[in-house]
Amino acid sequence: MSVNRYQGFVFNPADLSEDVDLDVERRKEILFAEARLASWTHFDLLGLPWNASAEAAKAAYVAKVKVFHPDRYPGQRLGSFRARLEKVFGRLTEARDVLTDEPRRAAYARATAPALERAALEARRLGDERRSEERRARLGRQNPLLARAGRVAELMKRGQEGMAAGQHAQAANDFLLVASLDPSNREAVALAAECKRRSTAHKVQELMEKAAASEALGQWGQALLAYGAALQLDAAHLKACIYGSRAAISQGDGGAARELAEQGVRAAPRNGAAHEALGVALEALGQRAEAKKALERAVELDPRLETAKERLKKLRWSFLG
Amino acid sequence: MSNLEPVIGIDLGTTNSVVATVRDGVPRVIPSRTGQLLTPSIVAVAKNGKELVGGLAKRQAITNAENTVYAAKRLIGRRWGSREVEDARRVLPYELTAGPEGNDVRIKLGGRVVTIPEVSALVLAELKADAEAWFGRPVTQAVVTVPAYFNDGQRQATKDAGRIAGLEVLRIINEPTSAALAYGFGKLIEKKVVVFDLGGGTFDVSVLDIGKSVFDVVAVGGDTYLGGEDFDRRVMDWLTFTFARENGGVDLRQDKMALQRLKDAAEKAKIELSAVPASDIHLPFLASGGDGKQALHLTKQLGREKLEEITKDLVDRCIAVTERTLRDAGVRPNQVDEVILVGGMTRMPRVQRAVREFFGKEPCKGVHPDEVVALGAAIQAQALTAPAQPGNDVLLLDVTPQNLGLLVVGGYFQTVIPRNTTVPTSQTHLFTTVQDQQTSVRIAVLQGEKERAIDNELLGEFILAGIRPARRGEVSIEVTFDISADGIVGVAARDVDTGQQQSITVTATSGLTEEELRRIMDDRVDDLLTRKQSTAEFDAARERASAAVREIEALVPAVQAALERSKFGKDAVQKAEGVMARVRQAIEAKDTAELAASAEPLERTLQLFKGLAGQAARPPGGA
Repeated sequence: MSVNRYQGFVFNPADLSEDVDLDVERRKEILFAEARLASWTHFDLLGLPWNASAEAAKAAYVAKVKVFHPDRYPGQRLGSFRARLEKVFGRLTEARDVLTDEPRRAAYARATAPALERAALEARRLGDERRSEERRARLGRQNPLLARAGRVAELMKRGQEGMAAGQHAQAANDFLLVASLDPSNREAVALAAECKRRSTAHKVQELMEKAAASEALGQWGQALLAYGAALQLDAAHLKACIYGSRAAISQGDGGAARELAEQGVRAAPRNGAAHEALGVALEALGQRAEAKKALERAVELDPRLETAKERLKKLRWSFLG
Repeated sequence: MSNLEPVIGIDLGTTNSVVATVRDGVPRVIPSRTGQLLTPSIVAVAKNGKELVGGLAKRQAITNAENTVYAAKRLIGRRWGSREVEDARRVLPYELTAGPEGNDVRIKLGGRVVTIPEVSALVLAELKADAEAWFGRPVTQAVVTVPAYFNDGQRQATKDAGRIAGLEVLRIINEPTSAALAYGFGKLIEKKVVVFDLGGGTFDVSVLDIGKSVFDVVAVGGDTYLGGEDFDRRVMDWLTFTFARENGGVDLRQDKMALQRLKDAAEKAKIELSAVPASDIHLPFLASGGDGKQALHLTKQLGREKLEEITKDLVDRCIAVTERTLRDAGVRPNQVDEVILVGGMTRMPRVQRAVREFFGKEPCKGVHPDEVVALGAAIQAQALTAPAQPGNDVLLLDVTPQNLGLLVVGGYFQTVIPRNTTVPTSQTHLFTTVQDQQTSVRIAVLQGEKERAIDNELLGEFILAGIRPARRGEVSIEVTFDISADGIVGVAARDVDTGQQQSITVTATSGLTEEELRRIMDDRVDDLLTRKQSTAEFDAARERASAAVREIEALVPAVQAALERSKFGKDAVQKAEGVMARVRQAIEAKDTAELAASAEPLERTLQLFKGLAGQAARPPGGA
């Protein structure tokens, strides 16, 4: 053994100078083993590499107990070292019991595999999986039935991957293809629908953003077109209706504004903002009575609508004036 | 090595005991002062009040059955009222009685009531004296063997016997383990070994892994009430039964002397039948006819087949125990490399056949069944006192023979350290309270195999108080059992929350209280003092005799020369040699009385020789 096998370990001088019949090296060996009991695995304790065999464990045990059994020190005063020896011996016996019983040994080895070993094991497992997949693919190319099953599996997998990556349109296509290859595959149908929904929502979102950008630049026509496209995809998109109506007014197209606002009211009849937009559009068209009615409805549905309240006030004053 | 005090190993058997030692690295049996290797484990008080031990006690057993104690080992450490003791009371010729606290067994012997350890101590003291005579120096340390299946109480009682005999018992080891030790000593073998030990009173079986001088006991099992005595009793029962049938219902069991003769005859016939197919039993004048009728004689022939028939179930029991022990060890019969037979009963052909059939192999013939246990004990004694010698170092890893645990709620036994656990060991279990607001728990330490606590041996108990009052089940109590290499059991209980702690060292009750033990030992010390006195006397006598012998030996050439010319005293030298041989023997045996008796003839011989030598010195022809 190398000289610095106790490197980094600080011995208690009191233990090393206790009045017992043991030489310093033996004391160090005992103290070190005792201190390491909690952290050492059974393999470490027996001085064995991880996953050593049952035979090796038995041989190591026989060698170790010759050091750690109190009977090996006949007629010698052991002091506190007797208890230490017994403690280490007990643990040695436990290690022996586990490691010489093959099923228990194998389970213990799995549970105590060091990180590096574990990584190697995992890599081996993944390699095995990849190889078997390749093999399946090869088989699939050779057998039409298998080929079809393989294609379905491949498409399903690609679809799921696409879905996870946000490529909803692509994924929807894959799932629809699966559904056509295998009409009984309900999962593919459901997934395709979901992908379509997400894909549409995504597109609408894009159009809404585009419209907002156009509005900011004052390009009301562009914005109006974008809102229209969004409503093509999702007719019930309330924000598209309201914002579109607002853009139409800015564009000076009262008729379009009124149409969009009316679409919004149809999509959400109990939404104050929709009625407000309608009121504003009607006011722009000069139909004040109708506008007043719409605005009153808006405030009734949502009293916090400031624009509606303000407009309504003006409309009332103008009646007087 | 020679300046170390000699240590001995003692096989304290049910019927015979053996003492051995290791000399110059070789284990050997120490012969008794009368030259015997086996000392009968028999103690008697003769009619004149003298204590007799061993062969002397055995010889007078028939005429003094009530005051002759044999098979005391079957009673050691037993509780009064137990099934075993009740059985023994029915068949033993000597009288048993309960101890003062009513829980141990005592024997009425020579008008005195003695404890079982005292009886065993007499045998141990005899063996100790034999060893001392052999070594020519005092012996105080010994390893004593017990059946593997002995519980703590029986072991403790055996230890006490050693103390009473003036021996420091270094260790109590199991007989089968000891046998394996003797078998594997110095051989550097790696084998799985089964020891099948059918002795006088107990049956033991052990499975060991021997590897590079480490003797690792894997499992032990046995029956403390199955042995040669049971075979003898079957033969006795058969004899008394047939005798009663043939003699109009005369019951021999009423007659203690007849019973003793029957026992001897039964044992003799059983032993004979191991060698021959049939044995004749002759017991003339076994019973008086009564009412002036003629005395009755017993003449019977017992065949080997008959013996095997009436003892079949006993052999079957041995095999059943063996099977269970192998199962405990996780070893199949065909995985065993060697089967060692120990104990006189294994000489019986039927037993050997049963073993052969069970293991599918011939048992080992290399060990002497009577001596091997004592030899192993001597080896362990040596290992525990002297530094290991290369080539014959020995490390014995023994196991707990029975489950060790606690009394738990409902009167059940909860095992903490299961049987066959390698010692030293330490195990911890968590228990909880069973009552609301419970503030103390009683920890009762038990040993045994039975499910119900009461059926097991109580080793000791203590109370853990100061527990935090709480709802039942909320307080955790951690109980730690600890067994040291020399088999001492320590139990500690700790309340996990409050840290309140309580512990005991379990000293099994051998039936003797410490006080009694001290009193008995004081008595023995008195004995020792008188013995010491006699030792001084002996030394003086030896000095005188040795001086005379030396003088005579110096004169021998001159005497021979004188005799060649004389018509008389041709046999003088022969006679002188006879006297001197007696003296040498007496010195060897430390027999002061014999030495004193031969002082006179020695003196006469010396004078004669002096005269003859004086004649020879004179010139020829002179007068």
